[in-house]
Amino acid sequence: MRADLDRRGTLAFVPARFGKEVVGGAEIVMKQMALGLRDRGWDVEILTTCALDHHYWENVFEAGTSQEDGLTVRRFPVVNEPIVERGVLEARIIAGEKVTLAEQQRWINSGMRVPELYHYILDNRYSYRGMLFTPYPFWVTFACSQIAPERSVLWTCLHDEPYARLDLFQPMFTGSAGLFFQTDPEYNLATEICSNLAPNAIVGCGVEIPEVYDPHGFRARYNIDGPFLLYAGRREGAKGWEQMLDWYAAAYDHAPFDLKLVTMGSGDVNPPESIKDLVIDLGFLPDHERDNAFAAAAAYVQPSKYEAFSRTIMEAWLAGTPVIANAGSEVVAWHCERSDAGLVYRDAAEFEQCLRFIADAPESAAALAAPGRGYVLDHYTWDTVLDGIEDSLDSWLPAPTPETAPSHEVKAADSLTVGGS
Amino acid sequence: MKILMVTPYPPLRDGIASYAVQTVVALRAEGHDVTVLSPGPSAAHQHLNLVGPRGAAALAKRVRGYDKVIIQFHPDIFYPVDASSAERAATSAGLAVAFRLADYVEVRLHEIDYRNGYGAGPAAIAARLMWSQVDKIVVHTEGERNDFIAAFKVKPENIELTDHGGDFQRYTTANRATARRTLRVPADAMVFLSIGFIQPHKGFDRAVRAFARVADGDARLYVVGSVRVDEPGFLAYMAELAELISQTPGAELRQGYVSDELFDRWIVAADCVVLPYRAIWSSSVIERARLYDTSVIVTDVGGLKAQAERGSDVTVVADDEELAGALASRIAGSSANAAVPHHLAVPNKEWPVAGDNLRLRLQAEIVARATVRRGRPAGAVDAPALVAGRVKAASDARGVLARVAPVPMFAMPSTAGRGPRSYAKKVVRKLTDWEMREIAHQMNLQKIGTDKMVGALTEQVAALQAQVLELTAHHKEEGRDG
Repeated sequence: MRADLDRRGTLAFVPARFGKEVVGGAEIVMKQMALGLRDRGWDVEILTTCALDHHYWENVFEAGTSQEDGLTVRRFPVVNEPIVERGVLEARIIAGEKVTLAEQQRWINSGMRVPELYHYILDNRYSYRGMLFTPYPFWVTFACSQIAPERSVLWTCLHDEPYARLDLFQPMFTGSAGLFFQTDPEYNLATEICSNLAPNAIVGCGVEIPEVYDPHGFRARYNIDGPFLLYAGRREGAKGWEQMLDWYAAAYDHAPFDLKLVTMGSGDVNPPESIKDLVIDLGFLPDHERDNAFAAAAAYVQPSKYEAFSRTIMEAWLAGTPVIANAGSEVVAWHCERSDAGLVYRDAAEFEQCLRFIADAPESAAALAAPGRGYVLDHYTWDTVLDGIEDSLDSWLPAPTPETAPSHEVKAADSLTVGGS
Repeated sequence: MKILMVTPYPPLRDGIASYAVQTVVALRAEGHDVTVLSPGPSAAHQHLNLVGPRGAAALAKRVRGYDKVIIQFHPDIFYPVDASSAERAATSAGLAVAFRLADYVEVRLHEIDYRNGYGAGPAAIAARLMWSQVDKIVVHTEGERNDFIAAFKVKPENIELTDHGGDFQRYTTANRATARRTLRVPADAMVFLSIGFIQPHKGFDRAVRAFARVADGDARLYVVGSVRVDEPGFLAYMAELAELISQTPGAELRQGYVSDELFDRWIVAADCVVLPYRAIWSSSVIERARLYDTSVIVTDVGGLKAQAERGSDVTVVADDEELAGALASRIAGSSANAAVPHHLAVPNKEWPVAGDNLRLRLQAEIVARATVRRGRPAGAVDAPALVAGRVKAASDARGVLARVAPVPMFAMPSTAGRGPRSYAKKVVRKLTDWEMREIAHQMNLQKIGTDKMVGALTEQVAALQAQVLELTAHHKEEGRDG
């Protein structure tokens, strides 16, 4: 940690969701980054919504200001009206159809919106040295990062998906104060879709290092016998969950193997009938049990094609567990190649062979996993990542001086009543 | 004070939205409780379809309970596209009710068709009634103020003149070098910029044509923006403009979404913003250029001349000739690294002085100046004296067109008679008057366009003839020398 950095001024982290119960890689990273920077002497606040779930965006948390984990958290209510055109435009975007700029604007504005948060930032933009937004395609990031772009930093979470190529997002990629990328493939994708990127840095992503693991206790507490494949995170189509289930069932139907599928996180499980008894849903686990699950697993599966970093594969490697992953994700394939600790599959047949390898050759699987922990410790500890983040923030966001705040400065953040207009 | 602001609003990219949010910031900073109502979903607190009589009725239900209602007025927010007179009348009447119900109404005028205030038809009567219910109408130029009073017969004391850019804030901190680097614009080029929504009335094609006539190797013209609405006419214009730009060395189209920040970065990157509008009321772009001390060239339409008078470096041009001249002046000024002149003439450079090859240098200078003055692609040679007869013939062709009189603002003859027949005539006359005027107006616009096109074609033919003659003479000379 650099002692000579100027850490004056308040940083606002602006994830669309925040809270202990929130499931989502980017949101968890935001929280850990905020806590890490606070511990290094930065004044950090959280500006977020009242929502817990990113599908329905219901206002679960109370609007207003609270203290959570020693951070000031300001929550604002979500407005989420059913607008039919949203679904139509979304389908066209995902199908790769040409969508005009006017349509793109209608698409981004016809989903969830947070007018009170927008106006809070509008009033108080000069109260913050910088604001960190994530992920790029959310309304909160799109609308609010452009209020004071010279103070807005994006933790982009860029995936190779149709949204990334919408013209709508180009100004964010070119005009923000800075962009944080987590991997080389994410940066490469950004340069592919945008030829004049804003100042940027590849800083990786920090991962918590558990002090101890208790795989045997975990098996006992959750009554799990035998080897199992683990999946952690959101169970939804975009994460490849349903396709992976189908492929798992097809492989098992073809020739049974001794490898259950254990999952934790959010979303419906919906296993095919033939493997119903093989799939165990543990729901939402506390952090230490999540770590234990990684250690107890025979392998971890990452079926998502859309990963900007994939913290879960790091957690698997830290726990000495091998990874099998969808080769469609350049980021995850890149990690597997760099670490030498993971296998990738391109189709159902390759996935089946990965399963059989894990089930049939546990010793080789353990050997495959061996270099993984070192890879994570070398590149993705929070200390290393925060060093890079701080260097960039110091460079992109000038420390506050009397000259940097315009004379018509608005109310101080602390004097505001959150939730009113 | 509890204020309701009715306006397009970010993150929708729209000039009025950008203007409005800056006003909202200023009002909130003064401690007012501002609720924003936008015509569609946005960062506004509420949204409502405000089009037509139903929209007006819905607005009427919302205005109570506020100390003040501020409306950022553009006809498209309230009136259906291609509205009939009856629809206009009903909408205006509905808005009159909404304004009447509000404690205090302030309308900030961004665009309006003054013709809708004239006449004795129901639409005009309803429009005047509507504006009579507004407590304060804010315009940006004296011309707008006078036109508005004349058209809608409002009390002069109800109209206030404000600085268009009074609440404007900067969206970028980039300097010119950074802006150019990040926009991939040559660091040392003379950069002209036409920026905004791309639609015929913005006249960006005029900028391209003028640029083509005067540009040298170091000059660039960037046309930046996108089509605001995907209407066939606008899309066709965009396609034509793109084609024109692709054939113009030094010109480049940067089509895409332009955020406030990106907009400002382009302004910073530019040496001169070129706004050859065919029609406009007032321009936010001028104000944004003013924020960054970027010079501007604008055409003399709407209230731009008055707006320009407040700018430190705004050149107003009357037509395409003056536009080309103004561009040339900027280029000439930049090459000498001097302050850009405000006059509209061709480059005021010194003539070549005695020395080697004086004739050649003089000849080159004459050709260069003539190119600017007459309008031809840079490097083209013109020698009208050699083809006087043909030029005369061409002039005659233009003369034929010139003799075609403008289409009168025809209407059914008025009648002073009485009885049902005369009454019916009066009604028909009143109902059709506006449309007939519009048809005549459009026909006259067509005629003006045709005149210009024939004129340009005639000049081009003359230029080609001159080139042929010169080449012929050149060959003959070479033949003699050889």
